[in-house]
Amino acid sequence: MDLLTLFAASILINNFVLYYFLGICPFLGVSKKVDAAFSMGVAVTFVMTLTAVVSWTINHWILIPYKLEYLQIVAFILVIASLVQLVEMFIRKTSPPLYQAMGIYLPLITVNCCIMGLALLASLKEYSFPETVVFGVGAGIGFTLAIVLMAAIREQLEMADIPQTLKGAGISLIVTGIIALAFLGFSGMIK
Amino acid sequence: MSLYKQMVIVLTSIGIISGALLVSVNLLTKDRIASNKQKEIEAAVLRVIPGTKASQKIYEEKDFTVYQGKDDQGNLLGFAINTAAGGFQDKILYIFGLNIQLTRISSLYVLNQKETPGLGAKIANERAFLQFWEGKECSRPLSLRKPPVEKEKLAASEVNTITGATVSSRAVLSSVNAALEKIKKLKEGGKLNVEGDHGE
Amino acid sequence: MLRETMESRSPLQEFTKGLWLDNPVSRQLLGMCSTLAITNAVINGIAMGLAVGFVLLFSSLLVSLARKFVPSQVRIATYIVIIASFVTIADRFMAAFFPPISKALGPYVPLIVVNCIILGRAEAFASKNSVGRSIVDAMGMSAGYIIALLILSSVREILGNGTILGFRILGSWFEPWIIMILPPGAFITLGILIALAFQIERKAKQRR
Repeated sequence: MDLLTLFAASILINNFVLYYFLGICPFLGVSKKVDAAFSMGVAVTFVMTLTAVVSWTINHWILIPYKLEYLQIVAFILVIASLVQLVEMFIRKTSPPLYQAMGIYLPLITVNCCIMGLALLASLKEYSFPETVVFGVGAGIGFTLAIVLMAAIREQLEMADIPQTLKGAGISLIVTGIIALAFLGFSGMIK
Repeated sequence: MSLYKQMVIVLTSIGIISGALLVSVNLLTKDRIASNKQKEIEAAVLRVIPGTKASQKIYEEKDFTVYQGKDDQGNLLGFAINTAAGGFQDKILYIFGLNIQLTRISSLYVLNQKETPGLGAKIANERAFLQFWEGKECSRPLSLRKPPVEKEKLAASEVNTITGATVSSRAVLSSVNAALEKIKKLKEGGKLNVEGDHGE
Repeated sequence: MLRETMESRSPLQEFTKGLWLDNPVSRQLLGMCSTLAITNAVINGIAMGLAVGFVLLFSSLLVSLARKFVPSQVRIATYIVIIASFVTIADRFMAAFFPPISKALGPYVPLIVVNCIILGRAEAFASKNSVGRSIVDAMGMSAGYIIALLILSSVREILGNGTILGFRILGSWFEPWIIMILPPGAFITLGILIALAFQIERKAKQRR
Protein backbone atom coordinates (compact mmCIF):
# COMPACT_ATOMS: atom_id res chain seq x y z
CA MET A 1 0.00 0.00 0.00
CA ASP A 2 1.55 3.30 -0.94
CA LEU A 3 2.03 5.96 1.67
CA LEU A 4 -0.75 8.29 0.58
CA THR A 5 -3.28 5.46 0.61
CA LEU A 6 -2.04 4.35 4.00
CA PHE A 7 -2.38 7.89 5.30
CA ALA A 8 -5.95 8.28 4.08
CA ALA A 9 -6.88 4.80 5.26
CA SER A 10 -5.65 5.39 8.79
CA ILE A 11 -7.74 8.55 9.09
CA LEU A 12 -10.99 7.36 7.56
CA ILE A 13 -11.23 3.64 6.99
CA ASN A 14 -9.26 2.28 9.90
CA ASN A 15 -9.94 5.19 12.23
CA PHE A 16 -8.30 4.48 15.55
CA VAL A 17 -11.35 5.38 17.60
CA LEU A 18 -14.17 4.22 15.37
CA TYR A 19 -12.60 1.06 13.94
CA TYR A 20 -9.86 -0.05 16.32
CA PHE A 21 -11.69 1.07 19.49
CA LEU A 22 -8.62 2.82 20.82
CA GLY A 23 -8.58 5.98 22.88
CA ILE A 24 -12.16 5.66 24.08
CA CYS A 25 -11.49 6.90 27.63
CA PRO A 26 -10.11 10.29 26.61
CA PHE A 27 -12.53 10.33 23.71
CA LEU A 28 -15.48 10.28 26.09
CA GLY A 29 -13.81 12.27 28.82
CA VAL A 30 -12.44 15.25 26.94
CA SER A 31 -14.90 15.66 24.13
CA LYS A 32 -17.25 18.12 25.79
CA LYS A 33 -15.89 21.25 24.20
CA VAL A 34 -14.49 21.58 20.73
CA ASP A 35 -11.35 23.57 21.61
CA ALA A 36 -10.45 21.23 24.45
CA ALA A 37 -10.99 18.30 22.12
CA PHE A 38 -8.82 19.84 19.46
CA SER A 39 -5.99 20.49 21.92
CA MET A 40 -6.15 16.91 23.07
CA GLY A 41 -6.10 15.73 19.49
CA VAL A 42 -3.05 17.79 18.65
CA ALA A 43 -1.22 16.58 21.75
CA VAL A 44 -2.06 12.98 20.89
CA THR A 45 -0.95 13.34 17.28
CA PHE A 46 2.33 14.83 18.40
CA VAL A 47 3.04 12.05 20.87
CA MET A 48 1.95 9.44 18.34
CA THR A 49 4.37 10.65 15.72
CA LEU A 50 7.22 10.58 18.21
CA THR A 51 6.18 7.17 19.43
CA ALA A 52 6.03 5.85 15.88
CA VAL A 53 9.63 6.89 15.32
CA VAL A 54 11.00 5.64 18.62
CA SER A 55 9.05 2.40 18.80
CA TRP A 56 10.01 1.39 15.27
CA THR A 57 13.65 2.14 16.02
CA ILE A 58 13.70 0.15 19.23
CA ASN A 59 11.76 -2.67 17.65
CA HIS A 60 13.98 -3.04 14.60
CA TRP A 61 17.36 -2.14 16.01
CA ILE A 62 17.18 -3.82 19.40
CA LEU A 63 14.23 -6.14 19.95
CA ILE A 64 14.19 -8.07 16.70
CA PRO A 65 17.94 -8.44 16.08
CA TYR A 66 18.48 -9.74 19.60
CA LYS A 67 15.36 -11.92 19.58
CA LEU A 68 13.81 -9.94 22.39
CA GLU A 69 10.35 -9.61 20.86
CA TYR A 70 8.74 -10.85 24.06
CA LEU A 71 9.91 -7.64 25.73
CA GLN A 72 7.89 -5.59 23.29
CA ILE A 73 5.04 -4.74 25.67
CA VAL A 74 7.34 -3.62 28.47
CA ALA A 75 9.65 -1.73 26.15
CA PHE A 76 6.87 0.11 24.33
CA ILE A 77 4.99 1.23 27.40
CA LEU A 78 8.18 2.48 29.08
CA VAL A 79 9.09 4.36 25.92
CA ILE A 80 5.66 5.95 25.79
CA ALA A 81 5.67 6.90 29.47
CA SER A 82 9.11 8.47 29.13
CA LEU A 83 8.23 10.28 25.91
CA VAL A 84 5.15 11.78 27.49
CA GLN A 85 7.18 12.88 30.50
CA LEU A 86 9.83 14.46 28.25
CA VAL A 87 7.25 16.18 26.06
CA GLU A 88 5.54 17.60 29.12
CA MET A 89 8.79 18.96 30.55
CA PHE A 90 9.79 20.36 27.18
CA ILE A 91 6.52 22.17 26.65
CA ARG A 92 6.50 23.51 30.19
CA LYS A 93 9.95 25.03 29.73
CA THR A 94 9.66 26.36 26.22
CA SER A 95 6.12 27.59 25.99
CA PRO A 96 4.12 28.19 29.19
CA PRO A 97 1.02 29.37 27.30
CA LEU A 98 1.06 26.16 25.26
CA TYR A 99 1.48 24.24 28.47
CA GLN A 100 -1.54 25.98 29.88
CA ALA A 101 -3.55 25.00 26.85
CA MET A 102 -2.68 21.34 26.56
CA GLY A 103 -0.38 20.42 29.40
CA ILE A 104 -3.03 18.83 31.54
CA TYR A 105 -3.91 16.29 28.91
CA LEU A 106 -0.39 15.00 28.55
CA PRO A 107 -0.26 12.66 31.56
CA LEU A 108 -3.54 11.17 30.39
CA ILE A 109 -1.99 10.29 27.08
CA THR A 110 0.24 7.66 28.65
CA VAL A 111 -2.74 5.43 29.24
CA ASN A 112 -4.36 6.38 26.00
CA CYS A 113 -4.75 3.10 24.19
CA CYS A 114 -4.09 4.92 20.92
CA ILE A 115 -0.39 5.33 21.50
CA MET A 116 0.30 1.81 22.66
CA GLY A 117 -2.06 0.55 20.00
CA LEU A 118 -0.10 2.40 17.35
CA ALA A 119 3.19 0.86 18.42
CA LEU A 120 1.67 -2.62 18.56
CA LEU A 121 -0.24 -2.42 15.28
CA ALA A 122 2.69 -1.02 13.36
CA SER A 123 4.79 -3.89 14.67
CA LEU A 124 2.07 -6.46 13.94
CA LYS A 125 1.65 -5.28 10.38
CA GLU A 126 5.39 -5.14 9.93
CA TYR A 127 5.35 -1.64 8.53
CA SER A 128 8.59 -0.09 7.33
CA PHE A 129 9.87 3.08 8.93
CA PRO A 130 8.17 5.54 6.56
CA GLU A 131 4.98 3.50 6.75
CA THR A 132 5.03 3.56 10.54
CA VAL A 133 5.49 7.31 10.66
CA VAL A 134 2.72 7.92 8.15
CA PHE A 135 0.52 5.50 10.05
CA GLY A 136 1.22 7.38 13.29
CA VAL A 137 0.47 10.80 11.88
CA GLY A 138 -2.65 9.56 10.12
CA ALA A 139 -3.88 7.76 13.21
CA GLY A 140 -3.40 10.90 15.30
CA ILE A 141 -5.29 12.99 12.78
CA GLY A 142 -8.04 10.36 12.70
CA PHE A 143 -8.29 10.52 16.49
CA THR A 144 -8.45 14.32 16.36
CA LEU A 145 -11.14 14.16 13.69
CA ALA A 146 -13.24 11.75 15.72
CA ILE A 147 -12.86 13.63 18.99
CA VAL A 148 -13.61 17.03 17.45
CA LEU A 149 -16.68 15.63 15.69
CA MET A 150 -17.83 14.17 18.98
CA ALA A 151 -17.26 17.43 20.84
CA ALA A 152 -19.17 19.43 18.25
CA ILE A 153 -22.12 17.06 18.53
CA ARG A 154 -21.99 17.03 22.32
CA GLU A 155 -22.01 20.80 22.44
CA GLN A 156 -25.28 20.64 20.53
CA LEU A 157 -26.58 17.82 22.70
CA GLU A 158 -26.18 20.04 25.76
CA MET A 159 -29.17 21.99 24.58
CA ALA A 160 -31.24 18.96 23.67
CA ASP A 161 -33.73 17.29 25.94
CA ILE A 162 -32.19 13.92 26.66
CA PRO A 163 -33.80 11.43 29.03
CA GLN A 164 -32.02 11.36 32.35
CA THR A 165 -30.99 7.74 31.93
CA LEU A 166 -29.19 8.32 28.70
CA LYS A 167 -27.27 11.38 29.82
CA GLY A 168 -23.53 11.08 29.92
CA ALA A 169 -22.00 7.83 28.81
CA GLY A 170 -25.17 6.37 27.37
CA ILE A 171 -25.91 8.97 24.74
CA SER A 172 -22.21 9.56 24.02
CA LEU A 173 -21.67 5.94 23.15
CA ILE A 174 -24.78 5.75 21.02
CA VAL A 175 -23.74 8.87 19.13
CA THR A 176 -20.28 7.38 18.68
CA GLY A 177 -21.92 4.30 17.24
CA ILE A 178 -23.78 6.39 14.71
CA ILE A 179 -20.61 8.23 13.72
CA ALA A 180 -18.87 4.85 13.40
CA LEU A 181 -21.71 3.71 11.17
CA ALA A 182 -21.19 6.74 8.96
CA PHE A 183 -17.47 6.08 8.78
CA LEU A 184 -18.13 2.51 7.64
CA GLY A 185 -19.13 4.14 4.42
CA PHE A 186 -15.50 4.95 3.78
CA SER A 187 -14.55 1.29 3.52
CA GLY A 188 -13.61 0.09 0.12
CA MET A 189 -12.90 3.66 -0.92
CA ILE A 190 -9.36 2.65 -1.54
CA LYS A 191 -8.45 -0.36 -3.66
CA MET B 1 18.76 6.06 53.32
CA SER B 2 18.35 8.92 50.93
CA LEU B 3 15.34 9.15 48.69
CA TYR B 4 17.50 8.93 45.62
CA LYS B 5 19.10 5.70 46.79
CA GLN B 6 15.74 4.24 47.63
CA MET B 7 14.36 5.08 44.20
CA VAL B 8 17.31 3.50 42.46
CA ILE B 9 17.10 0.35 44.57
CA VAL B 10 13.39 -0.04 44.05
CA LEU B 11 13.55 0.52 40.32
CA THR B 12 16.49 -1.82 39.91
CA SER B 13 14.89 -4.59 41.93
CA ILE B 14 11.61 -4.25 40.04
CA GLY B 15 13.60 -4.34 36.83
CA ILE B 16 15.42 -7.47 37.89
CA ILE B 17 12.32 -9.26 39.12
CA SER B 18 10.30 -8.52 36.03
CA GLY B 19 13.28 -9.27 33.83
CA ALA B 20 13.60 -12.67 35.47
CA LEU B 21 9.86 -13.32 35.13
CA LEU B 22 9.84 -12.38 31.47
CA VAL B 23 12.91 -14.35 30.53
CA SER B 24 11.48 -17.47 32.16
CA VAL B 25 8.12 -17.02 30.47
CA ASN B 26 9.87 -16.60 27.17
CA LEU B 27 11.90 -19.75 27.67
CA LEU B 28 8.80 -21.68 28.60
CA THR B 29 6.67 -20.54 25.69
CA LYS B 30 8.81 -19.61 22.73
CA ASP B 31 9.23 -23.09 21.33
CA ARG B 32 5.54 -23.74 21.57
CA ILE B 33 4.72 -20.47 19.85
CA ALA B 34 7.20 -21.11 17.06
CA SER B 35 5.86 -24.60 16.49
CA ASN B 36 2.28 -23.31 16.47
CA LYS B 37 3.21 -20.93 13.68
CA GLN B 38 5.04 -23.68 11.85
CA LYS B 39 2.13 -26.10 12.16
CA GLU B 40 -0.27 -23.53 10.82
CA ILE B 41 1.76 -22.95 7.68
CA GLU B 42 2.40 -26.64 7.20
CA ALA B 43 -1.29 -27.41 7.54
CA ALA B 44 -2.09 -24.74 4.97
CA VAL B 45 0.54 -26.01 2.52
CA LEU B 46 -0.72 -29.55 2.98
CA ARG B 47 -4.21 -28.46 2.06
CA VAL B 48 -3.23 -26.76 -1.17
CA ILE B 49 -0.60 -29.25 -2.38
CA PRO B 50 -2.31 -32.57 -1.85
CA GLY B 51 -0.09 -35.51 -0.99
CA THR B 52 2.65 -33.37 0.50
CA LYS B 53 4.71 -35.04 3.18
CA ALA B 54 7.38 -32.41 3.54
CA SER B 55 7.18 -28.72 2.84
CA GLN B 56 9.95 -26.19 2.51
CA LYS B 57 10.11 -22.44 2.21
CA ILE B 58 11.97 -21.60 -0.98
CA TYR B 59 11.40 -17.88 -1.38
CA GLU B 60 10.39 -15.15 0.99
CA GLU B 61 9.65 -11.50 0.77
CA LYS B 62 7.12 -9.29 2.51
CA ASP B 63 3.59 -10.61 1.94
CA PHE B 64 4.81 -13.17 -0.58
CA THR B 65 6.23 -16.53 0.44
CA VAL B 66 6.65 -19.57 -1.76
CA TYR B 67 6.75 -23.12 -0.44
CA GLN B 68 7.41 -26.36 -2.23
CA GLY B 69 5.78 -29.63 -1.33
CA LYS B 70 7.37 -33.04 -1.76
CA ASP B 71 6.03 -36.53 -1.22
CA ASP B 72 7.86 -39.06 0.92
CA GLN B 73 10.02 -40.14 -2.00
CA GLY B 74 11.28 -36.61 -2.39
CA ASN B 75 9.42 -35.95 -5.63
CA LEU B 76 8.37 -32.38 -6.10
CA LEU B 77 4.59 -32.17 -6.09
CA GLY B 78 3.90 -28.49 -6.45
CA PHE B 79 4.21 -25.02 -5.01
CA ALA B 80 2.19 -22.99 -2.58
CA ILE B 81 2.10 -19.23 -2.48
CA ASN B 82 1.22 -17.49 0.78
CA THR B 83 0.39 -13.90 0.05
CA ALA B 84 -1.98 -11.02 0.81
CA ALA B 85 -4.63 -9.07 -1.06
CA GLY B 86 -5.77 -5.56 -0.23
CA GLY B 87 -9.34 -6.15 0.84
CA PHE B 88 -12.29 -3.97 1.71
CA GLN B 89 -11.21 -3.26 5.27
CA ASP B 90 -7.76 -4.68 5.68
CA LYS B 91 -5.38 -7.26 4.22
CA ILE B 92 -6.71 -10.65 3.19
CA LEU B 93 -4.13 -13.35 3.90
CA TYR B 94 -4.53 -16.44 1.77
CA ILE B 95 -2.64 -19.36 0.29
CA PHE B 96 -3.03 -21.21 -2.99
CA GLY B 97 -1.37 -24.22 -4.56
CA LEU B 98 0.14 -24.60 -8.01
CA ASN B 99 1.36 -27.55 -10.00
CA ILE B 100 5.04 -27.76 -10.90
CA GLN B 101 4.57 -26.18 -14.30
CA LEU B 102 2.72 -23.25 -12.75
CA THR B 103 -0.19 -23.83 -15.12
CA ARG B 104 -2.92 -25.01 -12.77
CA ILE B 105 -4.22 -23.91 -9.37
CA SER B 106 -5.02 -26.83 -7.12
CA SER B 107 -7.01 -24.88 -4.54
CA LEU B 108 -7.12 -21.65 -2.57
CA TYR B 109 -7.81 -21.00 1.10
CA VAL B 110 -8.23 -17.79 3.01
CA LEU B 111 -6.13 -17.71 6.18
CA ASN B 112 -7.10 -14.40 7.70
CA GLN B 113 -9.52 -11.68 6.69
CA LYS B 114 -11.40 -8.78 8.21
CA GLU B 115 -14.03 -8.25 5.55
CA THR B 116 -17.64 -7.42 6.32
CA PRO B 117 -19.26 -10.39 8.04
CA GLY B 118 -21.98 -11.93 5.90
CA LEU B 119 -20.78 -10.18 2.77
CA GLY B 120 -17.09 -9.87 1.95
CA ALA B 121 -16.28 -12.45 4.60
CA LYS B 122 -17.88 -15.05 2.37
CA ILE B 123 -14.61 -15.28 0.47
CA ALA B 124 -13.42 -17.56 3.24
CA ASN B 125 -16.36 -19.84 2.65
CA GLU B 126 -15.90 -23.04 0.70
CA ARG B 127 -19.30 -23.11 -0.91
CA ALA B 128 -19.53 -19.42 -1.70
CA PHE B 129 -16.12 -18.81 -3.19
CA LEU B 130 -13.27 -21.20 -2.60
CA GLN B 131 -14.64 -24.17 -4.55
CA PHE B 132 -14.51 -22.17 -7.75
CA TRP B 133 -10.74 -21.94 -7.54
CA GLU B 134 -10.11 -25.66 -7.69
CA GLY B 135 -8.30 -26.83 -10.79
CA LYS B 136 -8.27 -23.47 -12.49
CA GLU B 137 -6.04 -23.11 -15.50
CA CYS B 138 -3.68 -20.23 -15.00
CA SER B 139 -1.21 -20.06 -17.86
CA ARG B 140 -3.06 -16.89 -18.68
CA PRO B 141 -4.51 -14.41 -16.16
CA LEU B 142 -7.76 -15.45 -14.51
CA SER B 143 -10.95 -13.45 -14.82
CA LEU B 144 -14.09 -12.98 -12.78
CA ARG B 145 -17.52 -14.19 -13.87
CA LYS B 146 -20.22 -11.79 -12.91
CA PRO B 147 -23.04 -12.62 -12.22
CA PRO B 148 -21.99 -15.99 -10.83
CA VAL B 149 -23.01 -19.19 -12.65
CA GLU B 150 -22.90 -22.89 -11.85
CA LYS B 151 -19.47 -24.36 -11.38
CA GLU B 152 -19.70 -26.47 -14.55
CA LYS B 153 -20.52 -23.47 -16.70
CA LEU B 154 -17.34 -21.61 -15.76
CA ALA B 155 -14.54 -21.48 -18.31
CA ALA B 156 -11.22 -23.01 -17.29
CA SER B 157 -9.79 -19.67 -16.28
CA GLU B 158 -12.91 -18.08 -14.80
CA VAL B 159 -13.88 -17.70 -11.16
CA ASN B 160 -17.26 -16.67 -9.78
CA THR B 161 -17.69 -13.42 -7.92
CA ILE B 162 -19.73 -13.32 -4.74
CA THR B 163 -22.89 -11.28 -4.96
CA GLY B 164 -22.59 -8.35 -2.58
CA ALA B 165 -18.84 -8.89 -2.18
CA THR B 166 -17.47 -7.76 -5.50
CA VAL B 167 -14.69 -5.75 -3.96
CA SER B 168 -13.40 -8.63 -1.86
CA SER B 169 -13.64 -11.16 -4.72
CA ARG B 170 -11.93 -8.80 -7.09
CA ALA B 171 -9.20 -8.09 -4.57
CA VAL B 172 -8.37 -11.76 -4.28
CA LEU B 173 -8.44 -12.26 -8.04
CA SER B 174 -6.09 -9.42 -8.90
CA SER B 175 -3.80 -10.50 -6.11
CA VAL B 176 -3.70 -14.06 -7.48
CA ASN B 177 -2.96 -12.83 -10.98
CA ALA B 178 -0.17 -10.63 -9.66
CA ALA B 179 1.23 -13.51 -7.62
CA LEU B 180 1.16 -15.79 -10.67
CA GLU B 181 3.07 -13.28 -12.74
CA LYS B 182 5.57 -12.87 -9.97
CA ILE B 183 6.27 -16.53 -9.47
CA LYS B 184 6.62 -17.10 -13.20
CA LYS B 185 9.18 -14.31 -13.37
CA LEU B 186 11.01 -15.68 -10.36
CA LYS B 187 11.18 -19.12 -11.91
CA GLU B 188 12.48 -17.79 -15.22
CA GLY B 189 15.03 -15.71 -13.42
CA GLY B 190 16.16 -18.79 -11.52
CA LYS B 191 15.42 -17.10 -8.21
CA LEU B 192 13.44 -19.99 -6.79
CA ASN B 193 15.77 -22.36 -4.96
CA VAL B 194 14.00 -25.42 -6.23
CA GLU B 195 15.70 -28.68 -5.38
CA GLY B 196 15.14 -31.87 -7.32
CA ASP B 197 13.22 -30.16 -10.05
CA HIS B 198 11.68 -32.99 -12.03
CA GLY B 199 9.29 -31.29 -14.36
CA GLU B 200 10.31 -28.34 -16.43
CA MET C 1 -24.81 1.80 48.91
CA LEU C 2 -21.07 1.85 48.60
CA ARG C 3 -19.68 2.51 52.06
CA GLU C 4 -17.55 5.59 51.90
CA THR C 5 -14.52 4.61 53.92
CA MET C 6 -12.58 1.45 53.20
CA GLU C 7 -12.33 0.54 56.87
CA SER C 8 -16.07 0.28 57.14
CA ARG C 9 -16.29 -2.35 54.40
CA SER C 10 -16.15 -6.01 55.19
CA PRO C 11 -14.04 -8.30 53.00
CA LEU C 12 -17.19 -9.60 51.37
CA GLN C 13 -18.31 -6.11 50.48
CA GLU C 14 -14.85 -5.44 49.18
CA PHE C 15 -15.48 -8.22 46.72
CA THR C 16 -19.07 -7.53 45.79
CA LYS C 17 -18.59 -3.83 45.15
CA GLY C 18 -16.79 -4.72 41.94
CA LEU C 19 -19.83 -6.62 40.74
CA TRP C 20 -22.35 -3.83 40.73
CA LEU C 21 -21.95 -0.71 42.86
CA ASP C 22 -18.46 0.02 41.61
CA ASN C 23 -18.48 -2.06 38.45
CA PRO C 24 -15.46 -1.09 36.36
CA VAL C 25 -17.41 -0.95 33.12
CA SER C 26 -20.89 0.29 33.95
CA ARG C 27 -20.00 2.60 36.82
CA GLN C 28 -16.36 3.59 36.51
CA LEU C 29 -16.43 3.58 32.72
CA LEU C 30 -12.96 2.10 32.52
CA GLY C 31 -11.35 -0.40 30.19
CA MET C 32 -13.69 0.34 27.37
CA CYS C 33 -11.15 -0.16 24.63
CA SER C 34 -10.92 -3.88 25.25
CA THR C 35 -14.58 -4.19 26.14
CA LEU C 36 -15.74 -2.88 22.80
CA ALA C 37 -13.12 -4.47 20.62
CA ILE C 38 -13.41 -8.11 21.52
CA THR C 39 -17.00 -8.60 22.56
CA ASN C 40 -18.11 -9.73 19.12
CA ALA C 41 -18.18 -13.31 20.36
CA VAL C 42 -18.72 -14.76 23.82
CA ILE C 43 -15.60 -16.93 23.70
CA ASN C 44 -13.49 -13.84 23.07
CA GLY C 45 -15.18 -12.05 25.95
CA ILE C 46 -14.41 -14.92 28.30
CA ALA C 47 -10.80 -15.15 27.20
CA MET C 48 -10.23 -11.42 27.58
CA GLY C 49 -12.00 -11.36 30.93
CA LEU C 50 -9.77 -14.12 32.26
CA ALA C 51 -6.66 -12.43 30.93
CA VAL C 52 -7.59 -9.13 32.57
CA GLY C 53 -8.47 -10.96 35.77
CA PHE C 54 -5.07 -12.64 35.82
CA VAL C 55 -3.19 -9.40 35.27
CA LEU C 56 -5.33 -7.48 37.77
CA LEU C 57 -4.95 -10.09 40.47
CA PHE C 58 -1.20 -10.47 40.26
CA SER C 59 -0.35 -6.84 39.71
CA SER C 60 -2.60 -5.77 42.62
CA LEU C 61 -0.86 -8.41 44.69
CA LEU C 62 2.64 -7.23 43.85
CA VAL C 63 1.77 -3.54 44.10
CA SER C 64 0.26 -4.12 47.52
CA LEU C 65 3.27 -6.14 48.66
CA ALA C 66 5.65 -3.42 47.52
CA ARG C 67 3.59 -0.46 48.65
CA LYS C 68 5.68 0.36 51.70
CA PHE C 69 8.96 0.34 49.81
CA VAL C 70 8.14 2.25 46.67
CA PRO C 71 8.78 6.00 46.87
CA SER C 72 5.92 8.05 45.56
CA GLN C 73 7.94 9.61 42.75
CA VAL C 74 8.57 6.34 40.99
CA ARG C 75 5.34 4.61 41.79
CA ILE C 76 3.74 4.99 38.38
CA ALA C 77 6.82 3.67 36.63
CA THR C 78 6.92 0.73 39.04
CA TYR C 79 3.25 -0.09 38.52
CA ILE C 80 3.69 0.09 34.77
CA VAL C 81 6.59 -2.34 34.78
CA ILE C 82 4.73 -4.76 37.04
CA ILE C 83 1.57 -4.61 34.94
CA ALA C 84 3.47 -4.87 31.66
CA SER C 85 5.27 -7.97 32.89
CA PHE C 86 2.07 -9.78 33.76
CA VAL C 87 0.44 -8.71 30.52
CA THR C 88 3.40 -10.18 28.65
CA ILE C 89 3.02 -13.41 30.61
CA ALA C 90 -0.68 -13.60 29.78
CA ASP C 91 -0.04 -12.79 26.12
CA ARG C 92 2.77 -15.32 25.65
CA PHE C 93 0.82 -17.99 27.51
CA MET C 94 -2.18 -17.48 25.28
CA ALA C 95 -0.12 -17.48 22.10
CA ALA C 96 1.51 -20.74 23.14
CA PHE C 97 -1.51 -22.68 24.36
CA PHE C 98 -4.54 -21.09 22.70
CA PRO C 99 -3.31 -19.85 19.31
CA PRO C 100 -6.72 -19.35 17.64
CA ILE C 101 -8.01 -17.20 20.51
CA SER C 102 -4.73 -15.33 20.67
CA LYS C 103 -5.14 -14.53 16.99
CA ALA C 104 -8.75 -13.45 17.44
CA LEU C 105 -7.87 -11.11 20.29
CA GLY C 106 -4.85 -9.81 18.41
CA PRO C 107 -3.22 -6.66 19.76
CA TYR C 108 -5.90 -6.25 22.43
CA VAL C 109 -4.18 -8.58 24.87
CA PRO C 110 -0.99 -6.49 24.93
CA LEU C 111 -3.27 -3.46 25.18
CA ILE C 112 -4.37 -4.67 28.61
CA VAL C 113 -1.27 -2.85 29.82
CA VAL C 114 -3.02 0.48 29.20
CA ASN C 115 -6.35 -0.78 30.42
CA CYS C 116 -7.35 1.89 32.91
CA ILE C 117 -8.93 -0.66 35.23
CA ILE C 118 -5.60 -2.19 36.18
CA LEU C 119 -3.58 0.96 36.65
CA GLY C 120 -6.61 2.53 38.28
CA ARG C 121 -6.94 -0.22 40.87
CA ALA C 122 -3.21 -0.20 41.53
CA GLU C 123 -3.16 3.52 42.16
CA ALA C 124 -6.49 3.86 43.94
CA PHE C 125 -6.52 0.71 46.02
CA ALA C 126 -3.65 -1.75 45.98
CA SER C 127 -1.09 0.90 46.81
CA LYS C 128 -2.99 1.86 49.92
CA ASN C 129 -4.35 -1.42 51.21
CA SER C 130 -3.20 -4.69 52.67
CA VAL C 131 -2.43 -7.63 50.44
CA GLY C 132 -5.53 -9.48 51.55
CA ARG C 133 -7.90 -6.63 50.79
CA SER C 134 -6.17 -5.92 47.50
CA ILE C 135 -6.61 -9.50 46.36
CA VAL C 136 -10.30 -9.45 47.24
CA ASP C 137 -10.74 -6.10 45.50
CA ALA C 138 -8.99 -7.41 42.39
CA MET C 139 -11.18 -10.49 42.33
CA GLY C 140 -14.32 -8.43 42.69
CA MET C 141 -13.33 -6.02 39.94
CA SER C 142 -12.39 -8.89 37.66
CA ALA C 143 -15.67 -10.64 38.33
CA GLY C 144 -17.56 -7.44 37.58
CA TYR C 145 -15.57 -6.97 34.41
CA ILE C 146 -16.16 -10.53 33.23
CA ILE C 147 -19.89 -10.18 33.89
CA ALA C 148 -20.01 -6.98 31.85
CA LEU C 149 -18.08 -8.65 29.02
CA LEU C 150 -20.38 -11.67 29.11
CA ILE C 151 -23.51 -9.56 28.87
CA LEU C 152 -22.15 -7.40 26.09
CA SER C 153 -20.71 -10.25 24.04
CA SER C 154 -23.82 -12.40 24.44
CA VAL C 155 -26.03 -9.63 23.10
CA ARG C 156 -23.67 -8.98 20.23
CA GLU C 157 -23.15 -12.60 19.31
CA ILE C 158 -26.82 -13.61 19.55
CA LEU C 159 -28.12 -10.66 17.59
CA GLY C 160 -25.22 -10.43 15.21
CA ASN C 161 -24.66 -14.09 14.49
CA GLY C 162 -27.50 -16.08 15.98
CA THR C 163 -25.06 -18.10 18.06
CA ILE C 164 -23.56 -18.31 21.53
CA LEU C 165 -20.09 -19.82 21.87
CA GLY C 166 -20.54 -21.01 18.32
CA PHE C 167 -23.77 -22.88 19.05
CA ARG C 168 -26.73 -21.86 16.99
CA ILE C 169 -29.41 -20.36 19.24
CA LEU C 170 -31.66 -18.63 16.80
CA GLY C 171 -32.79 -20.68 13.85
CA SER C 172 -32.45 -19.85 10.20
CA TRP C 173 -35.57 -17.70 10.32
CA PHE C 174 -33.41 -15.06 11.99
CA GLU C 175 -31.53 -12.70 9.73
CA PRO C 176 -28.50 -11.68 11.78
CA TRP C 177 -28.03 -8.02 12.56
CA ILE C 178 -24.54 -7.82 11.11
CA ILE C 179 -24.17 -4.35 12.55
CA MET C 180 -23.85 -5.96 15.97
CA ILE C 181 -20.53 -7.54 15.10
CA LEU C 182 -19.23 -4.34 13.60
CA PRO C 183 -17.92 -1.33 15.55
CA PRO C 184 -21.16 0.69 15.52
CA GLY C 185 -23.01 -2.20 17.13
CA ALA C 186 -20.43 -2.35 19.89
CA PHE C 187 -20.76 1.33 20.75
CA ILE C 188 -24.53 1.38 20.64
CA THR C 189 -24.95 -1.81 22.67
CA LEU C 190 -22.56 -0.64 25.37
CA GLY C 191 -24.28 2.73 25.49
CA ILE C 192 -27.67 1.12 25.98
CA LEU C 193 -26.35 -1.29 28.61
CA ILE C 194 -24.73 1.51 30.60
CA ALA C 195 -27.93 3.52 30.40
CA LEU C 196 -29.86 0.47 31.63
CA ALA C 197 -27.48 0.01 34.55
CA PHE C 198 -27.83 3.66 35.40
CA GLN C 199 -31.61 3.39 35.26
CA ILE C 200 -31.68 0.35 37.53
CA GLU C 201 -29.53 2.12 40.05
CA ARG C 202 -31.64 5.25 39.95
CA LYS C 203 -34.78 3.26 40.60
CA ALA C 204 -33.07 1.51 43.50
CA LYS C 205 -32.04 4.84 44.98
CA GLN C 206 -35.56 6.20 44.66
CA ARG C 207 -37.01 3.25 46.50
CA ARG C 208 -34.81 3.82 49.56
